[in-house]
Amino acid sequence: MKRRGVVSIGLLVLVTVLAAACGSPSSSTGTPLKGGTLTIDNESGTLWNCGFNPFNGNVSFLAFGPVYEPLVYDNLLNDRKVPMLASSYKWSSDSKSLTFTIRSGVKWSDGQPFTAADVVYTFKLIKSNNALDLQSVWSVLSDVSQQGSDQVVMTFQSPAVPYFYYIANQQPIVPEHVWSKISDPVAEKNDIPVGTGPFMVKAGGCTPQNISYTRNPNYWQSGQPYLDKVNYPAFTDNDPANQYLASGQAQWGGQFIPNIDSYYVKKDKANNHYWFPPIQNVNIFLNHTVRPFDNKLVRQAIAYGVDRPKVSKIGEYGYQPPGSQTGIVIPTFNDWYDSSQAQKYSYKFDPAKAQQLLQQAGFSKGSDGIFKDASGKRLSFTIYSISGYTDWTASLQVVQDNLKQAGIEIKEQDLSHDDYFNHLFVGDFQMAYGSLSTSPGPNPYYELRNTLYSQTSAPIGQTAAGDYGRWTDAQTDKLIERFGATTDSAEQHSLMKQIEGIMLEQVPVIPVTESVAWYQYSTKGFAGWPTPSDPYAAPAPWNIPDWEQVMLRVHKT
Amino acid sequence: MGYLVRRLEFFLVTLWAALTLNFILPRLLPGGPEVALRTRFHGRVSPGTIKSLEVALGIHTQQGQLQQYLEYLGNLLHGDLGVSLGFYPERVTQVIMVALPWTLGLVGMATVIAFVLGTLIGIFGAWRRGGLLDSVLPPVFVVISAFPYFWVGLICILLFSITLGWFPQAFGSSSEVTSELSLPYVLDVLWHSILPAFTIVLTSIGGWILTMRNNMITTLAEDYIRMARAKGLSPTRIMFQYAARNAILPNLVGFAMSLGFVISGALLVEIVFNYPGLGTFLLQAVNNEDFSLMQGLFLLITVAVLLAVVAADFLTAWLDPRTRERA
Repeated sequence: MKRRGVVSIGLLVLVTVLAAACGSPSSSTGTPLKGGTLTIDNESGTLWNCGFNPFNGNVSFLAFGPVYEPLVYDNLLNDRKVPMLASSYKWSSDSKSLTFTIRSGVKWSDGQPFTAADVVYTFKLIKSNNALDLQSVWSVLSDVSQQGSDQVVMTFQSPAVPYFYYIANQQPIVPEHVWSKISDPVAEKNDIPVGTGPFMVKAGGCTPQNISYTRNPNYWQSGQPYLDKVNYPAFTDNDPANQYLASGQAQWGGQFIPNIDSYYVKKDKANNHYWFPPIQNVNIFLNHTVRPFDNKLVRQAIAYGVDRPKVSKIGEYGYQPPGSQTGIVIPTFNDWYDSSQAQKYSYKFDPAKAQQLLQQAGFSKGSDGIFKDASGKRLSFTIYSISGYTDWTASLQVVQDNLKQAGIEIKEQDLSHDDYFNHLFVGDFQMAYGSLSTSPGPNPYYELRNTLYSQTSAPIGQTAAGDYGRWTDAQTDKLIERFGATTDSAEQHSLMKQIEGIMLEQVPVIPVTESVAWYQYSTKGFAGWPTPSDPYAAPAPWNIPDWEQVMLRVHKT
Repeated sequence: MGYLVRRLEFFLVTLWAALTLNFILPRLLPGGPEVALRTRFHGRVSPGTIKSLEVALGIHTQQGQLQQYLEYLGNLLHGDLGVSLGFYPERVTQVIMVALPWTLGLVGMATVIAFVLGTLIGIFGAWRRGGLLDSVLPPVFVVISAFPYFWVGLICILLFSITLGWFPQAFGSSSEVTSELSLPYVLDVLWHSILPAFTIVLTSIGGWILTMRNNMITTLAEDYIRMARAKGLSPTRIMFQYAARNAILPNLVGFAMSLGFVISGALLVEIVFNYPGLGTFLLQAVNNEDFSLMQGLFLLITVAVLLAVVAADFLTAWLDPRTRERA
């Protein structure tokens, strides 16, 4: 189950917030103490190869954040932005150009000054080596150039405001004086990275079993980081990782732990804590090119035919909360949630209502309790899931039982992770249970765009980047495009309400539960952790680059 | 001589078959490197990016299977196993070289210890058949050897590292000790290896005891043993020079073969103890659909086992003239 977190979310990226930027960490104990060694506990499924090339998708989650920094940190949980390598930024009035003012006084870890030229170089580098453009930023950018001594201007092919998240927050900046000498940046291992970040990896600091991140004494945020060292041991299996955490040898976990209260919290009630903020929906995807999913009433019937709270409780130990048919991940994005619309539809488990909708759609109930169409074809479907994701299998058993009461039969079929996504990408499925393969973002737009925007889709048989169900609706597309073209928050909220309206009325997908950032932390000897009352960063060690903010603020007590 | 040549021919044919299977099997898995690559990057990156990555990784999806096969054989001759997808830009041979010493050290030593101890217990047990040693140890170890490795490992961790705190519960060395070859480092590695090695010895010793004891008993019933006793030779001399020397033959062959299997690592032990050996890498390669690493590891295991089988054949031929005559 943990593996799911790593695979689908771990390589994504995110951001956080602020107080760290002005160097005044909120700590109840006064001035944070310096020193100490923190140990991370995260089953990454791999031993380290000690490469830190931030453009290599296999290892960027180890380099990006504490070693290579973004221009602006954008908190995945609440979209609050913290200036990092850029001290400020500004959109042009037509939202087609973005100007960053580059921070002065920042030095690379080898002592060379960081300049606007490094930023321009980084973007040109990923343009000329498109294997490095992991965020596809050049699919929207048309030019990146320096203006004056400290400004970088990015021009877009069309308004692409949400791409700020990928450009400012998901793109590591590298030094021109080092990378211009590297002949093949794609095959570069980068075992001694030179970055601007608060931590460094020195020669001998990495073995296949552990990475030691040591403090960068010349870090630009004076006084930070507080920690001397952060150890990141490599765990290839969940059990040893959970034991390591529960026995107190590691203080910061990103683990799925069954029965966490008795297994982890009880070992040290005063100090062991956890917080699982939801970040993405786990859906039932419907293939709209398959009959009868082209019928709105059938889709609504399925939405009424799933007992979300029960799925959450039985399938997910209650750790992953029930999803909302609005598509908004709550409570994380409560700010965007339109409760009055949601109440109007009230998608609670209601098999009677589901049956009534099916009858209205022209189906009749068979003797086995399953509805049939006029030709006698039963409403029986195969739903794909990923093998090894036992929580999903447990969830689907509840869903199967629920839908049976509503008169619909589903059969689960498990595929390997890659095979599963390949079926979704090319549209070869009836129903599928799961999340997008793309990362979520700091507000609901990112996930809903990739779920519903027909431009991310592709004809059946061809690879789609998003919209696996081939939902094609001009109104939806228009709302998403308008959202992407505005920087006005009020207008964005009003557009999002209309998208929620489509989710509720048209039911293009059915959110069932919400996947979370697994996060455990120990206050024994350490403070400054992100908490529900101080959500300054998405808190899992695999939330990239959010983990840099945590490493900046945590200190010993 | 003819016997040896025939064994070598057999070895070469088997090797070729193994290499070919090794080429075919990963290609029968659902998905494939290019699908794995696409999902790894969440379907988000552009086709141009995927293409550039495919070139970098050496995945030629346009090439015909036959051409790929010939290229694969050619690369093998040069000892080139390709680039690891999961550890890019590292080469498969580099990845294997990192893990090999750990597995050879841990599993190799544990196998030798289990063999030596098991054989000795078998010899003494049979010599005093029905004695205290013989009535307690063989049954106990035979029962334990029926327990799965990983289960014994988990119990050991629970008992000796979590409850008693005597030994570390994971890893091959601690993160605080640098990996330079120094006395503290060697001691640290030894300290970390005690629990996993103990697990392997505990679960594998039963087999050695049983075969050795049974062979000994058969041998002790031979006429020449009675003759030796009649001559008044010392019991120690009879036990080792006359009985054990003959009884150990099948055990030695088994030992040579088990050394071949060392390479495959005690997969489950390595996973339970989060040990950085070949077994851990193999699991990881399968999970990550790292086809080139999978192929490299399977190849290594196959060749090691084949070599061990051939070595066992030669050993038997050398120790037991009857084999040669029959051939």
